[in-house]
Amino acid sequence: MATKTIESRRWMQGASSPLRGALLGLVLEQPGHGGELASRLARRLGHPWRIDPTDIYRLLARLEDEGLLCSSEEPTPGSQRATRVVYHVTEETSEALTLWLETLVPREPMRSTLHAKLAAAQGVNDARLLLRALEAHERECLELAQLVPPMTSGAASLRTLLLDCVRSGVWTQLQAEIDWSRQSRERISEYLNAT
Amino acid sequence: MADTSQVLEFAQVVKRRWDGTRELLVLDGVSFEIGRGTFVGLYGARRSGKSTVLRLAAGLDLADEGRVAVAGCDLASASAVERARLLRGVVALVAPDSWRARPQESLVDHLVLSLGCDGITATQARRRAYSALDEVGLAGVGLEPTASLPMVERLNLMLARALLHTPELLLIDEPSVIPSVSGRERFGKLLRELARARNLAVIVASEELAAVQGSSVLMSLGAGQLTSTDERGVVVHFPGRQRAAGERVGA
Repeated sequence: MATKTIESRRWMQGASSPLRGALLGLVLEQPGHGGELASRLARRLGHPWRIDPTDIYRLLARLEDEGLLCSSEEPTPGSQRATRVVYHVTEETSEALTLWLETLVPREPMRSTLHAKLAAAQGVNDARLLLRALEAHERECLELAQLVPPMTSGAASLRTLLLDCVRSGVWTQLQAEIDWSRQSRERISEYLNAT
Repeated sequence: MADTSQVLEFAQVVKRRWDGTRELLVLDGVSFEIGRGTFVGLYGARRSGKSTVLRLAAGLDLADEGRVAVAGCDLASASAVERARLLRGVVALVAPDSWRARPQESLVDHLVLSLGCDGITATQARRRAYSALDEVGLAGVGLEPTASLPMVERLNLMLARALLHTPELLLIDEPSVIPSVSGRERFGKLLRELARARNLAVIVASEELAAVQGSSVLMSLGAGQLTSTDERGVVVHFPGRQRAAGERVGA
């Protein structure tokens, strides 16, 4: 039993684990083909996730290999000959989702390019370059924040409430990044101006 | 003649403040333009200069350098009469910490009194007051005393007051004083609906990024400088249409 549990948690490792787990949930709610699942996922998680349908197709195929989903070929509506692959749940899907929800998956390493650049910068000229990089980063955060849809007032259902929590998580993270970028720029400029 | 299609224009605005021991550069060359129907979120930490931007836009303070123009009119060089007309008819500032309603007066009376001697009859004034209350969803409690209002409705009443003079530019300072999350969301939704219905230019300033959600332009302020999503050369990707190279989700 223990070996089976360990074995059945293997798919949770790796950077794509959040997307795979979320896909299980979506298919449990309603079967769908790759493109549809990708757009449902993108709508639910929001723009900052940058969901790419190509990745979703690949992840779905892998979940099928692992027996967590199964697929059937169905005719594409409005087309005589074309078919598309529709994903359905298997006997294991629901259990795998629950297992994923309760497993504390170790977090991915925090690897920010900007952190690395700050760590590697060699002198005043590099620091000046980084001021610009930090500003661009801040603007990017603002752009992402702008694309997060407004929260729904009064959260009508558990589903909307949970999605609101996702959004507020994104806001909180972006706000922290903006503040960090501001503070770093201020401190670096102050130093550069003083010397 | 200045371009009047912009409701508000800041060009290289500098504002200094003396804090007792030294001079602070609150705004260090801030530039932006806002047209009608634009909903701007202005994010910044405490004491980053957000309120200063709003006060300059509302004409409550003048810039030390640069130009602040409302509806194409430079506030610094306008005559006192012209400035008064603009600031009464075009710009409205809603700042929760300037709540001045007398506790016992009713919501309607509060609005009627703020209309003052505007050359209209008492009946007309009441009608205008009620229509403004209606727009913010407070018409049903028009006869209640202002003291009975919870914080979120106070803001709504201040909003109603701002709408009495059919402004083109609405400035909201710190809506995050509203205590509950759902209250803040309701207020944000009301603001966006009003802005759309009346084709207003709106600036909402807050130290909470979440309080400026749903804006069409997002700006952040700090160390006297502004960063904006509305700058030249900035590409904003929209969901569904975006697919930039090198931005793949990890395998």
